[in-house]
Amino acid sequence: MSSSNPGSPSATATSSSSASSFSSKAHSCIQALSSILSTVPSSVSSSSSLLHDPTVSSQISTLLRDPDSGSGDNDLCRWLYDTFHSPDPELKLVVLRFVPIVAGIYLSRIASRKSLAGFEAILLALYAHETTAREGQPISVNVPDLTQPSIYHEAKSSVKTQATELNLAVISPTLEPHGTMRSSRRARIVGVALELYYSKISQMPVSSKLEFCEFCDIWATGIQNKPSSSSSSKQKTILLPWELLQPSLRILGHCLLGAHKSKKLYEAASMATKSLYERSLHDIDAKAILATSSLLRLEKMALDPKLNVDHTEIDMSLAL
Amino acid sequence: MADDETPSQTQESSMAREFSANGTSMSTTDVEAKLDKGNIEEAESSLRERLSLNSEEARTLLGRLEYQRGNVEAALRVLDGIDLQAAIQKLQPSSQQAARLVLEGVYLKVKSLQKLGKFAEAAQDCANILDAVGRIFPQGIPDAQVESKLQEMISKAVELLPELLKQAGKYQEAMAAYRRVLLNPWNLDNDCSGRIQKAFAVFLLHSGLEAGPPSLGAQADGAYVPKNNLEEAILLLLVLMRKIHHGDIQWDPSVLDHLMYALSLCSQTPVLSKQLEELKPGVFHRTERWNLLALCCSGVGQNKAAMNLLRKSLHINERPNDLTALLLAAKICSEDSQLAAEGVGYAQRAVDNAKGVDEHLKGVGLRMLGLCLGKQAKVSSSDFERSRLQNEALKCLDSALSFEQDNPDIIFELGAHYAEQRNLNAALRFAKKYIDITGGSVMKGWRLLALILSAQQRFAEAEVVTDAALDETGKWEQGPLLRLKAKLKVSQSRPMEAIETYCYLLALVQAQRKSSGPMKIDSQVQI
Repeated sequence: MSSSNPGSPSATATSSSSASSFSSKAHSCIQALSSILSTVPSSVSSSSSLLHDPTVSSQISTLLRDPDSGSGDNDLCRWLYDTFHSPDPELKLVVLRFVPIVAGIYLSRIASRKSLAGFEAILLALYAHETTAREGQPISVNVPDLTQPSIYHEAKSSVKTQATELNLAVISPTLEPHGTMRSSRRARIVGVALELYYSKISQMPVSSKLEFCEFCDIWATGIQNKPSSSSSSKQKTILLPWELLQPSLRILGHCLLGAHKSKKLYEAASMATKSLYERSLHDIDAKAILATSSLLRLEKMALDPKLNVDHTEIDMSLAL
Repeated sequence: MADDETPSQTQESSMAREFSANGTSMSTTDVEAKLDKGNIEEAESSLRERLSLNSEEARTLLGRLEYQRGNVEAALRVLDGIDLQAAIQKLQPSSQQAARLVLEGVYLKVKSLQKLGKFAEAAQDCANILDAVGRIFPQGIPDAQVESKLQEMISKAVELLPELLKQAGKYQEAMAAYRRVLLNPWNLDNDCSGRIQKAFAVFLLHSGLEAGPPSLGAQADGAYVPKNNLEEAILLLLVLMRKIHHGDIQWDPSVLDHLMYALSLCSQTPVLSKQLEELKPGVFHRTERWNLLALCCSGVGQNKAAMNLLRKSLHINERPNDLTALLLAAKICSEDSQLAAEGVGYAQRAVDNAKGVDEHLKGVGLRMLGLCLGKQAKVSSSDFERSRLQNEALKCLDSALSFEQDNPDIIFELGAHYAEQRNLNAALRFAKKYIDITGGSVMKGWRLLALILSAQQRFAEAEVVTDAALDETGKWEQGPLLRLKAKLKVSQSRPMEAIETYCYLLALVQAQRKSSGPMKIDSQVQI
């Protein structure tokens, strides 16, 4: 990446020249990738085509699944790491597209004692990016008290009580900087990578979300169903602490109840949700039981035609 | 013509249909024949003659007929004959009847376009309807003065617009449309506004799109304005629940489920408890409600309250064999030696009932049984009783492991139980396995391993383990490990080094007090 230095004075220019610098970044990125993959179609010439091209993503996915992937000197990991550090936000999306598979394989391989430094470098880069973007601040949500009026409702007593009962819920705590993958922080670091993935999920291709559902299922059950054969291999169960489970549940909610229209994704999400529900019973995790069981009921209701009457249909009268 | 005389869409086209207007009615048969031959003009003129209609009115009826017959494209062709845009421009507030006719024509076009999958075009026309309504009623729609049929059509258009934008994939615009329809007075009835609020809440929760807070400026007037998607969704769902409690809208289980999902994600299950408590009796079976409430309490560590609820729901006259409730009760009891004996009963019942589709929960039941027995052993009155309970506990954990061979929790618990029984070799084996399987990510595993080594008088190795654990742990969580390290130094008769470690621990505690950093210290292993 010596061809263009973003810190050089010439890079401080108008937006049009930064757009062209983005396109040259994308170009050099694609070039670097073509030395790693067997084929990169000629139609892949921009960051957006890189994100959506199925042959490229399936080749990358296959390489990431290779038993020897993820080491510190792995070319593909290096490429993902470098690409994420490109200033082009679209190229960042290309890396985020592979978060499910990187996180999925990484967590499944923890117990194997293989070198996973390549995966760790990517995950730490995502974590560092989010830490900087949020300035380490927690993300919280106010759960309102309806005795006070809101934009969507009027309150009976408009008298403002001093102790307004706002329940402040921290949904993602303070982020401390982490330069290395300490094992006790591993779940949090991967969890934050998933939070970042979720924040861009509306721009992610369906194939990426399918991979998430696949790994979510493996995390929950420890069972890997090989699509090529009828056999399934049991892997080691991984711990699912809340910091990992919570962002996973948000992603799953999108896959199950979002407006994406992919039947395959609904089915994969439904399976992963069932597995997580059973896992939450095994772990006797009250919050997870509540969240997953509600998702399962909602899925059922979404499929019930009796509950989905179209109220916008035209009145069938032929009278004026 | 009364509504019940109108044929429904599901009926065959051979069924007699009738047009009616201005007090006259006529069969549609002749007109349908003309339309089938493509003679739209002829069909129009025969309608105009027989029912004394103008061209727009006749076209609107013809469009409806084609739409009803499922000929959506034909309906669009018929409607093309009316210049709806021009008609919209000419709309006058004084003539609601005329306005309704025009807007119904546009709405018919919108629905036809939607059926053809032309969502963006449909959304544009639908937005035009709302703009026109805004011009007719610049101050919002006055409840008393709006014609009911016009209101009905407006409500439908208001409900449809965001749906169309979603179908067109224009999510940001859908977000804005939802706010536009919910924050302006369209005189919607409770059911309609409830449906839109729910659809918006679902969209906010699951679209994965962060739209930013609604910007209202002065309009907010001191009212609470949610600042992100999740907040806005929760607010809407709480507003809907309030409408349900007040009887303004019918009970809709999906509202509660969406709220349950959102509030569990935020760890705000007590808010959910409040909603469950306010529900009218009969909505849930009482045991179901107790069980949900118990999960809410347990979700925030209110175990005493959870147990009180579970005792009710697991009572012999209620639902004594509910597996989830039994497991939750056993788990809570397993953490409290005063409740351990009670927990043994629940866990045993869970094991007995883990059959059929629930067979996979047998291992969990056995694990809970082992934990409760082990806890019970700690408060037993005699040595004989203690060792009997401990042996039983180990047996249960062992068979739990045979159901779930790689379950890290069971592996840890076996290690801890063997250590308590002074079977240090077995304990060491499980402690090491736990570190392996969790990749050293859980501090209690390191502590257990160090304690076992120290019990074997292998202090130097214990110290190595403690140092390894310190390496893997963030500094705010290092307290218990440092205490352990200092004790190990003392055991090796190196008091100066111990003092050094204590000094460091003290500095850490002081720094922790000063900083706003997380104060949480992991629960310690009790051995």
